[in-house]
Amino acid sequence: MRKGAYMKKPYIIVHLFLSLCLLLLTVPCLAIENDECMDCHGDPDLTRMESQGVKQNLSLDYRKFQYSIHNINGIACVDCHSDITELNFDNEVPHALSIKSVDCSTCHEEEGQAYSKSVHMQAASKGMSIKCSACHGYHEVMPGDRLSVLERENKSCLKCHNPFSLHAWLPQKETHFAYVECTVCHAPDSPRHIHLRFFDLVKKDFIDSTDILTSLGTDLEGFLPLIDTDNSGSFSAKEFESMVFILRKRGVHVTFHGELLSEHQPLIHQVTLGNAERDCQDCHLPLSPFFEAVTLFFNNEDGTVTHINVDREVLQTYAVSNFNVPGGTRIRELDLIGVALVAGAILGIGGHLFGRILTIPYRKRRKLEEQQKKQS
Amino acid sequence: MIYIHHAPIMVWHWVNAACFMFLILTGLQIRFAGNLEIISLEEALHLHNYVGFMVIPNYCMWLLYCLVSGQIKNYIPKTGGFFQKIKEQVVYYAFGIFRGDPNPHTITVENKFNLMQQKTYAIIMFVLLPIQILTGLFLWEIKRFENYIDLLGGTRIVNSIHVVLFFFFTAFMIGHIYLATLGHTPLAHIKAMFTGFEEVHEEEPTVAAEPTPASPTTDNKEETVMHHDGEIVAERA
Repeated sequence: MRKGAYMKKPYIIVHLFLSLCLLLLTVPCLAIENDECMDCHGDPDLTRMESQGVKQNLSLDYRKFQYSIHNINGIACVDCHSDITELNFDNEVPHALSIKSVDCSTCHEEEGQAYSKSVHMQAASKGMSIKCSACHGYHEVMPGDRLSVLERENKSCLKCHNPFSLHAWLPQKETHFAYVECTVCHAPDSPRHIHLRFFDLVKKDFIDSTDILTSLGTDLEGFLPLIDTDNSGSFSAKEFESMVFILRKRGVHVTFHGELLSEHQPLIHQVTLGNAERDCQDCHLPLSPFFEAVTLFFNNEDGTVTHINVDREVLQTYAVSNFNVPGGTRIRELDLIGVALVAGAILGIGGHLFGRILTIPYRKRRKLEEQQKKQS
Repeated sequence: MIYIHHAPIMVWHWVNAACFMFLILTGLQIRFAGNLEIISLEEALHLHNYVGFMVIPNYCMWLLYCLVSGQIKNYIPKTGGFFQKIKEQVVYYAFGIFRGDPNPHTITVENKFNLMQQKTYAIIMFVLLPIQILTGLFLWEIKRFENYIDLLGGTRIVNSIHVVLFFFFTAFMIGHIYLATLGHTPLAHIKAMFTGFEEVHEEEPTVAAEPTPASPTTDNKEETVMHHDGEIVAERA
């Protein structure tokens, strides 16, 4: 008996372990699959009448959802619509008729916190509710970090705001709106950086990063040591220019399109009105904090992006053709030309004037001699 | 006394001069924002734009008047003796002026500039200033003129051209003001630019090219001497 009782304990543990495994295996089988949702919501005619007599479309384009960041990360319909726990196909509608709004901050906690301090959240006190979907859309949420300023703004701010009616004080409005993301000024606590994108001077279009790597005969891993010869982890102006030179030798005439963007971090949601930067000199400075972080932008084949650090002095070279900020990114060599021209003029004049002063007695003597000659 | 500067040209000249002073000062502030604090960058930019837009109609008025009145002839080189004339003029400024030689160029209504002036002004008025105006216009609203800027190689190139010309014009103005004092009296050319009349002597008095002495009283004395001298020369002629 003692022996039998002794043998029973590990048996129970094994039994419990196997039961747990079995339970875990059956849970996914019980979970609601996306396909089940799409059986109904894949029908483009699926609508319902709202109380005010407005038709609400309840369908969604599954192909678009498939490319969404949520699907890529394995998030299923019921992960967000979490109040749908079971489907009862005996009913006409297999789940509750009214379901809760999705609360994004359940997963995106930090974003939610930042947003709660934003001017958009304050608008709620005036009876205007601006939900995440207003900017991000519903089911087609795409990763935004590979988008350009205009693409980002078209998807968000420009849906509601007309920046031209709000920035009377700002010079070069069109240029600022095209190259500086709204949040750079309007979410000042959010980190920002300058993206440099490869741009083909001949084709007048952006070049795919993979084409650049193919031209250089390397991959992303080999690219950094190939260019970063001093192993500093960042491209210096010299290294950057030599990269342009290598590419040119291989028939790729490249320049760089610069944009000032906010990093896609939670604080980007803390959009403020009062803190919007209004002093030109905050940006337009030789050591402006706005141009501190400069990165070379790579869009990878798998949809992700890679940023390679670049020294800010790269902005002061001709390799970056369009990002020219008065006071902030000036080319120092031009100042030398200026000094040479102005100093040359001053020295030349000074010398000439000095010569004229020195020769006054000579001219007086000569004049006197000439007068004497004429009189005689 | 001959009437060499027409009233519209004088108006253009002084409006342009005032505009250039503003553009140079505000341009310095824009270029060296953060290092210089004459006025705020915002004010400098707005002023630079406003004044820049005054230069354009002013330039157009000058060009139109030059074409209509025939003043443009002053900028077209006369045929023959180009190298000889330019050599004479260079030799005069480099040596002759110190020796008290007469200026090889005689001002006439049809030909008010010496060959060096003519070349410089022609290049400035028909090449450099239009380039400066165009690049300035493009830089005023970069996005609006994006296509033209791209044709020229990007904002950086356009800005570099504008900046180098800005330095050139700054140096030019310094030289221009100095050379304006090299008339038969230090203020003669400057006065002529206000009155339109330039005193012309067949033979330049030798004391004429003397530099401005420090005290204004001596200046006046010299002027009278020269004026007197000038009359004698005129009588003899």
